[in-house]
Amino acid sequence: MEYTKPMHEDAFRAGRALGLDHLKLGVWLFIGSEVMFFGGLIAAFLFYKVNNPTPESALLDVGLVGINTFVLLASSLTVVSALAAVGRGDVASMNLYLIATIVLGVAFLSGQAYEFVSLFRHGLTLSSSVFGSSFFTLTGFHGLHVLVGVAWALSTFFRGMRGNYTRDEHIGVEVFGLYWHFVDIVWIVLFTVIYLI
Amino acid sequence: MESPAPPVTRRPISYALVFLVLAIITAVELGVKGLGLPRAATNVLFLLLSLGKATMVAAFYMHLRRDSRMYTAIFLLPVILFVVFALLTIVI
Repeated sequence: MEYTKPMHEDAFRAGRALGLDHLKLGVWLFIGSEVMFFGGLIAAFLFYKVNNPTPESALLDVGLVGINTFVLLASSLTVVSALAAVGRGDVASMNLYLIATIVLGVAFLSGQAYEFVSLFRHGLTLSSSVFGSSFFTLTGFHGLHVLVGVAWALSTFFRGMRGNYTRDEHIGVEVFGLYWHFVDIVWIVLFTVIYLI
Repeated sequence: MESPAPPVTRRPISYALVFLVLAIITAVELGVKGLGLPRAATNVLFLLLSLGKATMVAAFYMHLRRDSRMYTAIFLLPVILFVVFALLTIVI
């Protein structure tokens, strides 16, 4: 069942002149700034890739990264399912979905760590070439965002366990979800830019 | 006197169905990549599929489809700027 957000009919009187939640608006602004952050890194990678075709890209294991992509897409499903669960007052299911999200996030990071180690063994490091620098910077920063997302998921889970979220008050789950889905979108773009084209 | 128009309602979407479509698109991408076709022939396809997947996540999982248009604007403005600058890096 699709998540339905709670109505804020007294939003104007509560000081939310646009009828927008301040926390949610802040997270969207943060996401907007993150688009520019990753945009700069991706543009730099593209500039290098277009002007310097390199055999080093043949070292990348598209199959392994494809599995990792499925894992991250699945984690987006568990996050939105957690939000839908708390939206209908089912906090226990929300907690289970958050645990699944944490497991999938850790699985993604493990896959990325395995990929990094494999590339190190082939001599590709952060300082070995321009390709190595741009590749590890881009994927490393994304992995760092996933790590932050896992920590945020843990925090949301513990808050859920303490009963901080109810059917009517669960903005914390929603903004965590926005962040996680954004990280998923970034990976969708990186998967295409780095591994497919 | 005309009766007021009924409110527009949308059928709830299944998040699992969205995931299924995303997974199928990813499988297609991997399959096409595995065929080893010339890059010129596949690059546009990969970019379009990627755009479709990102749009689905934003619309259905981030609920931009029916949330405030303010959030959509905040998200899309830097995306448009990024696309412009990325194209400039390739063209120039």
